[in-house]
Amino acid sequence: MKDMTKDILAGAESRRRNGSGDALGPNSEIGRKLKQYYDELVSDDVPDRFSQLLSQLEQAEPAQKKD
Amino acid sequence: MAAVSQGFKTDLLGAIPSLRAFAVSLTQNADKADDLVQETLVKAWDKHESFQPGTNLKAWLFTILRNEFYSQMRKRGREVQDSDGIMTARLAVHPAQHGQLDLKDFRGALEQLPEDQREAIILIGASGFSYEEAAEICGCAVGTIKSRVSRARTRLQEILKISGEDEYGPDAISTQVTGSPAS
Repeated sequence: MKDMTKDILAGAESRRRNGSGDALGPNSEIGRKLKQYYDELVSDDVPDRFSQLLSQLEQAEPAQKKD
Repeated sequence: MAAVSQGFKTDLLGAIPSLRAFAVSLTQNADKADDLVQETLVKAWDKHESFQPGTNLKAWLFTILRNEFYSQMRKRGREVQDSDGIMTARLAVHPAQHGQLDLKDFRGALEQLPEDQREAIILIGASGFSYEEAAEICGCAVGTIKSRVSRARTRLQEILKISGEDEYGPDAISTQVTGSPAS
Protein backbone atom coordinates (compact mmCIF):
# COMPACT_ATOMS: atom_id res chain seq x y z
CA MET A 1 0.00 0.00 0.00
CA LYS A 2 2.87 2.28 0.82
CA ASP A 3 4.50 1.54 -2.53
CA MET A 4 1.25 2.09 -4.30
CA THR A 5 0.85 5.51 -2.73
CA LYS A 6 4.38 6.33 -3.73
CA ASP A 7 3.62 5.27 -7.30
CA ILE A 8 0.53 7.41 -7.43
CA LEU A 9 2.41 10.43 -6.16
CA ALA A 10 5.25 9.81 -8.57
CA GLY A 11 2.75 9.47 -11.38
CA ALA A 12 0.93 12.63 -10.39
CA GLU A 13 4.24 14.45 -10.19
CA SER A 14 5.29 13.34 -13.65
CA ARG A 15 1.87 14.18 -15.08
CA ARG A 16 2.03 17.58 -13.49
CA ARG A 17 5.42 18.17 -15.01
CA ASN A 18 4.17 17.12 -18.42
CA GLY A 19 1.15 19.33 -17.99
CA SER A 20 -1.16 16.54 -19.16
CA GLY A 21 -2.23 13.02 -18.54
CA ASP A 22 -5.11 13.10 -16.09
CA ALA A 23 -4.83 9.57 -14.71
CA LEU A 24 -3.43 8.51 -18.06
CA GLY A 25 0.10 8.24 -16.80
CA PRO A 26 2.36 5.23 -16.47
CA ASN A 27 0.17 3.74 -13.75
CA SER A 28 -2.70 3.36 -16.11
CA GLU A 29 -3.10 0.55 -18.63
CA ILE A 30 -5.24 2.87 -20.73
CA GLY A 31 -2.55 5.54 -20.61
CA ARG A 32 0.14 3.10 -21.68
CA LYS A 33 -1.92 1.69 -24.53
CA LEU A 34 -2.89 5.14 -25.68
CA LYS A 35 0.76 6.11 -25.99
CA GLN A 36 1.64 2.83 -27.66
CA TYR A 37 -1.17 3.32 -30.18
CA TYR A 38 -0.17 6.89 -30.89
CA ASP A 39 3.60 6.35 -30.96
CA GLU A 40 3.13 3.64 -33.53
CA LEU A 41 1.21 6.08 -35.72
CA VAL A 42 3.79 8.83 -35.23
CA SER A 43 6.66 6.53 -36.17
CA ASP A 44 4.96 5.49 -39.39
CA ASP A 45 7.02 6.47 -42.46
CA VAL A 46 5.88 9.73 -43.98
CA PRO A 47 4.97 9.34 -47.67
CA ASP A 48 6.91 11.49 -50.15
CA ARG A 49 3.73 13.22 -51.23
CA PHE A 50 3.98 15.60 -48.30
CA SER A 51 7.48 16.92 -48.92
CA GLN A 52 6.55 17.15 -52.61
CA LEU A 53 3.47 19.12 -51.68
CA LEU A 54 5.47 21.60 -49.63
CA SER A 55 7.98 22.03 -52.46
CA GLN A 56 5.11 22.70 -54.85
CA LEU A 57 3.60 25.24 -52.48
CA GLU A 58 6.97 26.91 -52.21
CA GLN A 59 7.40 27.13 -55.96
CA ALA A 60 3.88 28.43 -56.45
CA GLU A 61 4.34 31.18 -53.92
CA PRO A 62 3.58 34.60 -55.48
CA ALA A 63 5.99 36.45 -53.20
CA GLN A 64 8.91 34.50 -54.58
CA LYS A 65 8.08 35.19 -58.20
CA LYS A 66 10.39 37.63 -59.85
CA ASP A 67 9.23 39.63 -62.83
CA MET B 1 1.65 38.08 -49.07
CA ALA B 2 4.93 37.66 -47.30
CA ALA B 3 7.13 34.78 -48.28
CA VAL B 4 6.86 31.63 -46.26
CA SER B 5 10.11 31.31 -44.38
CA GLN B 6 12.34 28.32 -44.71
CA GLY B 7 12.00 27.75 -40.99
CA PHE B 8 8.24 27.57 -41.26
CA LYS B 9 8.50 25.00 -44.00
CA THR B 10 10.96 22.94 -41.98
CA ASP B 11 8.67 23.11 -38.95
CA LEU B 12 5.72 22.00 -41.08
CA LEU B 13 7.70 19.03 -42.31
CA GLY B 14 8.62 18.17 -38.75
CA ALA B 15 5.01 18.27 -37.64
CA ILE B 16 3.76 15.85 -40.29
CA PRO B 17 4.19 12.63 -38.27
CA SER B 18 2.15 14.10 -35.41
CA LEU B 19 -0.45 15.48 -37.79
CA ARG B 20 -0.84 12.09 -39.43
CA ALA B 21 -1.20 10.36 -36.08
CA PHE B 22 -3.88 12.81 -34.98
CA ALA B 23 -5.62 12.54 -38.35
CA VAL B 24 -5.73 8.75 -38.14
CA SER B 25 -7.05 9.02 -34.59
CA LEU B 26 -9.86 11.25 -35.83
CA THR B 27 -10.75 9.54 -39.08
CA GLN B 28 -9.82 5.96 -38.22
CA ASN B 29 -8.82 5.60 -41.83
CA ALA B 30 -5.31 5.94 -43.25
CA ASP B 31 -6.26 7.31 -46.66
CA LYS B 32 -8.69 9.88 -45.31
CA ALA B 33 -6.11 10.82 -42.72
CA ASP B 34 -3.48 11.60 -45.32
CA ASP B 35 -5.95 13.64 -47.37
CA LEU B 36 -6.76 15.54 -44.21
CA VAL B 37 -3.08 16.19 -43.53
CA GLN B 38 -2.64 17.41 -47.09
CA GLU B 39 -5.54 19.86 -46.71
CA THR B 40 -4.09 20.99 -43.41
CA LEU B 41 -0.67 21.70 -44.91
CA VAL B 42 -2.18 23.68 -47.78
CA LYS B 43 -4.33 25.70 -45.39
CA ALA B 44 -1.41 26.28 -43.02
CA TRP B 45 0.72 27.46 -45.92
CA ASP B 46 -1.97 29.86 -47.15
CA LYS B 47 -2.55 31.39 -43.76
CA HIS B 48 0.99 31.21 -42.44
CA GLU B 49 0.86 34.93 -41.65
CA SER B 50 -1.75 34.31 -38.99
CA PHE B 51 0.65 32.06 -37.11
CA GLN B 52 2.45 33.94 -34.39
CA PRO B 53 6.08 32.85 -34.18
CA GLY B 54 6.98 31.66 -30.74
CA THR B 55 3.57 30.16 -30.10
CA ASN B 56 2.87 26.45 -30.37
CA LEU B 57 2.94 25.54 -34.06
CA LYS B 58 1.78 22.00 -33.40
CA ALA B 59 -1.31 23.24 -31.56
CA TRP B 60 -2.00 25.71 -34.37
CA LEU B 61 -1.73 22.94 -36.97
CA PHE B 62 -3.87 20.55 -34.93
CA THR B 63 -6.53 23.24 -34.74
CA ILE B 64 -6.54 23.61 -38.51
CA LEU B 65 -6.63 19.87 -39.01
CA ARG B 66 -9.46 19.41 -36.56
CA ASN B 67 -11.54 22.21 -38.10
CA GLU B 68 -10.98 20.71 -41.52
CA PHE B 69 -12.05 17.28 -40.27
CA TYR B 70 -15.31 18.52 -38.79
CA SER B 71 -16.12 20.73 -41.75
CA GLN B 72 -15.61 17.75 -44.07
CA MET B 73 -17.79 15.62 -41.85
CA ARG B 74 -20.54 18.21 -41.96
CA LYS B 75 -20.30 18.38 -45.73
CA ARG B 76 -20.52 14.64 -46.09
CA GLY B 77 -23.28 14.38 -43.55
CA ARG B 78 -21.42 12.19 -41.12
CA GLU B 79 -20.77 9.16 -43.21
CA VAL B 80 -20.27 5.91 -41.41
CA GLN B 81 -16.79 5.44 -40.05
CA ASP B 82 -14.40 3.10 -41.73
CA SER B 83 -15.57 -0.40 -41.15
CA ASP B 84 -13.54 -2.28 -43.71
CA GLY B 85 -10.63 -2.63 -41.38
CA ILE B 86 -8.12 -0.65 -43.42
CA MET B 87 -6.32 0.53 -40.35
CA THR B 88 -6.45 -2.84 -38.71
CA ALA B 89 -4.91 -4.50 -41.72
CA ARG B 90 -2.43 -1.77 -42.41
CA LEU B 91 -0.80 -1.54 -39.04
CA ALA B 92 1.23 -4.34 -37.69
CA VAL B 93 -0.25 -5.82 -34.60
CA HIS B 94 2.26 -6.50 -31.90
CA PRO B 95 1.58 -9.53 -29.80
CA ALA B 96 0.50 -8.78 -26.30
CA GLN B 97 3.29 -8.85 -23.78
CA HIS B 98 2.93 -10.27 -20.31
CA GLY B 99 -0.66 -11.15 -21.12
CA GLN B 100 -1.53 -7.49 -21.19
CA LEU B 101 -4.13 -5.79 -23.25
CA ASP B 102 -3.66 -6.29 -26.97
CA LEU B 103 -3.11 -3.16 -29.01
CA LYS B 104 -5.59 -4.36 -31.60
CA ASP B 105 -8.29 -4.63 -28.96
CA PHE B 106 -7.38 -1.20 -27.75
CA ARG B 107 -7.67 0.23 -31.24
CA GLY B 108 -11.08 -1.36 -31.60
CA ALA B 109 -12.22 0.15 -28.33
CA LEU B 110 -10.92 3.56 -29.30
CA GLU B 111 -12.95 3.40 -32.51
CA GLN B 112 -16.11 2.95 -30.50
CA LEU B 113 -15.71 6.25 -28.70
CA PRO B 114 -17.59 9.32 -29.91
CA GLU B 115 -15.26 11.68 -31.80
CA ASP B 116 -15.24 14.35 -29.12
CA GLN B 117 -14.14 11.90 -26.45
CA ARG B 118 -11.62 10.21 -28.71
CA GLU B 119 -9.93 13.44 -29.71
CA ALA B 120 -9.84 14.64 -26.11
CA ILE B 121 -8.17 11.52 -24.78
CA ILE B 122 -5.71 11.48 -27.69
CA LEU B 123 -4.75 15.13 -27.25
CA ILE B 124 -4.25 14.76 -23.51
CA GLY B 125 -3.08 11.20 -23.14
CA ALA B 126 -0.98 10.77 -26.27
CA SER B 127 -0.17 14.01 -28.11
CA GLY B 128 1.20 15.64 -24.99
CA PHE B 129 -0.99 18.74 -24.92
CA SER B 130 -2.06 20.42 -21.71
CA TYR B 131 -5.76 20.73 -20.91
CA GLU B 132 -5.54 24.41 -21.79
CA GLU B 133 -3.99 23.68 -25.17
CA ALA B 134 -6.49 20.92 -25.90
CA ALA B 135 -9.36 23.24 -25.00
CA GLU B 136 -7.98 25.82 -27.40
CA ILE B 137 -7.59 23.27 -30.18
CA CYS B 138 -11.15 22.01 -29.69
CA GLY B 139 -12.62 25.46 -29.11
CA CYS B 140 -14.21 24.54 -25.81
CA ALA B 141 -13.75 25.03 -22.07
CA VAL B 142 -11.00 23.32 -20.12
CA GLY B 143 -13.65 21.66 -17.96
CA THR B 144 -15.26 20.20 -21.07
CA ILE B 145 -11.98 18.58 -22.09
CA LYS B 146 -11.55 17.20 -18.59
CA SER B 147 -14.97 15.63 -18.57
CA ARG B 148 -14.52 14.21 -22.08
CA VAL B 149 -11.19 12.64 -21.10
CA SER B 150 -12.76 11.21 -17.99
CA ARG B 151 -15.73 9.77 -19.88
CA ALA B 152 -13.44 8.39 -22.58
CA ARG B 153 -11.29 6.67 -20.00
CA THR B 154 -14.26 5.18 -18.22
CA ARG B 155 -15.77 4.02 -21.50
CA LEU B 156 -12.49 2.42 -22.62
CA GLN B 157 -12.23 0.61 -19.32
CA GLU B 158 -15.77 -0.68 -19.75
CA ILE B 159 -15.21 -1.83 -23.32
CA LEU B 160 -11.90 -3.46 -22.47
CA LYS B 161 -13.16 -4.74 -19.15
CA ILE B 162 -10.09 -3.44 -17.41
CA SER B 163 -10.30 -3.97 -13.73
CA GLY B 164 -7.95 -3.14 -10.92
CA GLU B 165 -7.41 0.44 -12.01
CA ASP B 166 -9.95 1.85 -9.62
CA GLU B 167 -7.31 2.50 -7.01
CA TYR B 168 -5.68 4.89 -9.47
CA GLY B 169 -9.00 6.35 -10.50
CA PRO B 170 -10.90 9.19 -8.87
CA ASP B 171 -8.23 9.83 -6.27
CA ALA B 172 -5.49 10.15 -8.85
CA ILE B 173 -7.71 12.43 -10.90
CA SER B 174 -8.59 14.74 -8.03
CA THR B 175 -4.94 14.77 -7.01
CA GLN B 176 -4.07 15.82 -10.54
CA VAL B 177 -6.76 18.50 -10.67
CA THR B 178 -6.11 20.04 -7.31
CA GLY B 179 -2.35 19.74 -7.45
CA SER B 180 -0.18 17.15 -5.81
CA PRO B 181 -0.25 17.09 -2.03
CA ALA B 182 3.38 15.99 -2.19
CA SER B 183 4.53 19.38 -3.32
